[in-house]
Amino acid sequence: MYGKGLRPLSIATVAALVVSLSLVFFYAPLDADQGFIQKIFYLHVPLAIVALIGFVIGGVFAILHLRSGDSRWDAYSYVSIHMSVIFGVAVLITGSIWAKASWGHWWVWDEPTLVSFLIVFLMYATYYPFRYAIEDRERQARYASVFAITAGAFVPLNFMAVRMAQSLVHPRVFATTNGGLPGSMMLTFLVSLLAIGLLWVTLVKFELTAKSASGQLKRLRRALDAPAPGGRSRVAPEVS
Amino acid sequence: MLALLAATPALPLDEAGKYVAGAYVVFLALIVIYVAIMAAKLQRIERELGELAAFAEARATADQAAPGRESETPSISDSLASHGSRGGGA
Repeated sequence: MYGKGLRPLSIATVAALVVSLSLVFFYAPLDADQGFIQKIFYLHVPLAIVALIGFVIGGVFAILHLRSGDSRWDAYSYVSIHMSVIFGVAVLITGSIWAKASWGHWWVWDEPTLVSFLIVFLMYATYYPFRYAIEDRERQARYASVFAITAGAFVPLNFMAVRMAQSLVHPRVFATTNGGLPGSMMLTFLVSLLAIGLLWVTLVKFELTAKSASGQLKRLRRALDAPAPGGRSRVAPEVS
Repeated sequence: MLALLAATPALPLDEAGKYVAGAYVVFLALIVIYVAIMAAKLQRIERELGELAAFAEARATADQAAPGRESETPSISDSLASHGSRGGGA
């Protein structure tokens, strides 16, 4: 059920990534200030945007779980957060590489954008021990949903706070007052964003399918071990 | 393209190229690691499914051989435990 449409989605993702990389290296002009180093922008920024949106989506799924009590939403929420944490790792590493090349340091502690993303990432890193510290499955899902909603609400607040902070070293390239991105760079960026977004959706679907298969296998084993006539089949993947 | 790269005011290409390559390689490596982990999980699911199918077939055969009697095949937990299988997710 979760695997439906996975194949065309995977093909679309690979195609989008190929087009994106082609645009990055053969179409987008070199940045006048940073030169070739700026190519990291087309990877790092879409990864960060998709990771942050993924955290918020995890919170939205958690709301749906608490409202309906349907464990499928909990699985969606868990996998969204899980995938965004993986993307978050990529954001931190690519950001550090860019920082080293541009600023000469792997990390700058007085830069609000970097530190705020690290705070968000570390907050979500606590999601796993928090979730798995609770043994009862119902309570685990409920508490994890509360966490996902609270943390998900923190993400846009954090983003706005950082935007209001006057940074000297982290440029605001989407602002139009100081020129912003030229058309070719903007197109490349948007295609990269689409490609990374598609990658996130594909991996979420992939993970859900694997979890669903694993959960159904467990059910099958239980059914073979102790058949329960009239037992209702659950379709939601078990998050364990 | 090379002329453009040569004219770039920032780091020279031999310096900048390794950072850009590093960033993209890290991204690729993360995806490859993720896919490898998922492939391992898929293999485990496939193996367990095969074991379950074999168990179900063995039980069906035993039931056919002795209808009305309680199946004498071992429980599925015992059967799978001997293969060291786990049923956990990610």
